Amino acid sequence: MQRRPFLLGCGCLAFAAAAGVRADEYDYQVPPRFTRPDPGTDEGGLWAFMDREEQRLKRSSFLIRDPALNKYVTGIACGLAGEHCPEMRVYIMRTPYFNASMAPNGMMQVWSGLLVRMQNEAQLAAVLGHEIGHYLQRDSVEGLRDAKNRSSFGLIVGMALGVVAGGTAGSLAQLGILASGMAYGRDQERMADKIGVALMARNGYAPAEAGRVWGQLLDEMEGAKAAGEDVSSTDILFASHPPAEERKEVLAEAAKRDWPGATRTGTDEYRAALAPHRMGFLYDEVRRRRFGESLVLFDRLLKASPRDGQVQYFKGEAYRQRGREGDAKLAIEAYRAALAMDNAPPEAHRSLGTVLRQTAENAEATRAFQRYLELKPDAEDAEIIRSYLTGSQS
Amino acid sequence: MRLKPWLAAAALLALAGCAQMVKVEPGQVTIKEALRLNPTNAWNRFELQFPLSVAPGASEVWTQDGITLDALAFFVGVAEGQTLGSVIPGSNKKLPLFRATMTPGEIVELYEQMVTQDGSAFALTRVAPARFGGQPGFRFEHTITRKSDGVLLKGAGQGAVVKGKLYLAAFTAPSIYYYGRYLPQVEPLLASAEIKAP
Repeated sequence: MQRRPFLLGCGCLAFAAAAGVRADEYDYQVPPRFTRPDPGTDEGGLWAFMDREEQRLKRSSFLIRDPALNKYVTGIACGLAGEHCPEMRVYIMRTPYFNASMAPNGMMQVWSGLLVRMQNEAQLAAVLGHEIGHYLQRDSVEGLRDAKNRSSFGLIVGMALGVVAGGTAGSLAQLGILASGMAYGRDQERMADKIGVALMARNGYAPAEAGRVWGQLLDEMEGAKAAGEDVSSTDILFASHPPAEERKEVLAEAAKRDWPGATRTGTDEYRAALAPHRMGFLYDEVRRRRFGESLVLFDRLLKASPRDGQVQYFKGEAYRQRGREGDAKLAIEAYRAALAMDNAPPEAHRSLGTVLRQTAENAEATRAFQRYLELKPDAEDAEIIRSYLTGSQS
Repeated sequence: MRLKPWLAAAALLALAGCAQMVKVEPGQVTIKEALRLNPTNAWNRFELQFPLSVAPGASEVWTQDGITLDALAFFVGVAEGQTLGSVIPGSNKKLPLFRATMTPGEIVELYEQMVTQDGSAFALTRVAPARFGGQPGFRFEHTITRKSDGVLLKGAGQGAVVKGKLYLAAFTAPSIYYYGRYLPQVEPLLASAEIKAP
């Protein structure tokens, strides 16, 4: 690749030119602090564009403002960014897709679909470290200089970074534009991966978790394919990246190096930080109707935490809402399993009742609805559920 | 030179392009020969040339001030195995299919799936039994946080399944001002509904 000397003027030029993993690539020298570019330059223009988008983001109804969660995620990002921490602001967005990004002005976005997919703090650190890697390398700025059509570049970067709203912003369609026009080349991605691993290790995180992130994503894609779901949009997402398979292997290889003291996964801390939002994130996940992916995700979470009644409930929801032949039975099994666990939400009773009612298991359906009403007498649907029990119709 | 009024109107229509408004006069109106309504004041019917995220694939959409400010959508005679509404351009989502045995809660889920295709967020606030169109049915209330501009909408809908087909009307408007302003016109209009299931 043609990394240009004006970008960094540091030893990383040599890293980028190398093929494969070299032992010293992980001795990444973090560049000195960045300063705001002159507004008259192309980079200054990109910053100004991103600043405007950031103002919009701050007012967004989809911004998750919970101070505790923000403190937690910002803390992780800040640790990874080291001395560049004061340059960045983290925004957690309620968007149920796997994504994080960092704009050249220091605006970092973390989507809820990423948070729900990560198993622990180290995995989140792997993704954030990767994005910080792009930032430290000034990759989007370099892309701007390479872009033939500069006027559209801000828009492309904006879309890539998920800050420009589109009519179908919730879908992955806009990511297609990202892949076709987006700046980050494969070499840039490889370098960002390596920087991410180096930053992880310096913060004591187990580098092996980085490779697992990609392995997990591959598993979900396989799940979607096996379920006959359209994965073309997901494939587009990967088009500009090195294949996930390759990244998984490179990162797994990197993890085999000797990383003294880098063993932390932060599983318990991660779960505790997400706990207040988990129901909402899982709800959004099922509502995507990408059941093949979601079921792989839920099974992965259940493998790590077999008594998790929340996840077990949403597994049932995925089957119920998919509604294929045989899904009703699988949904009932999942709800019953969830209700045998500690933290199943009251809605598991309602969903169990709903499915049983349609399989003519009326006695058990009635008991399930009764239990739901006992647990949530003021539920938003309590009136209609009561009407099922009395058989009354208005 | 002065433009002739009809030419100006034609130009305006051409500019409007893919959508036009048709006035709905007070008096008896029937949608798709199956849902009879008796509006006491005039409405605008929004003629759709493409699926619209506010109510994609609705049989008809009525409005007072424009569909981003208030929208009353009618879905008339959705049959078993059909979707409620339609997929919007750019979405790769597969909408769930209506089954006549669905509970009102499940029907509201169909509605939620339809209106959140653009990434908007939906929250149910109430579902209760209620008559609609002279038939046993349900009423639901909800909010939508609109993806495109973050505006919080409030919504109220009514529905009934008659002879295996779904009849549903849903009103949405920004929670600030418009919902409160037009709901008092929507309520009596929906109360006048009569389902003439074929």
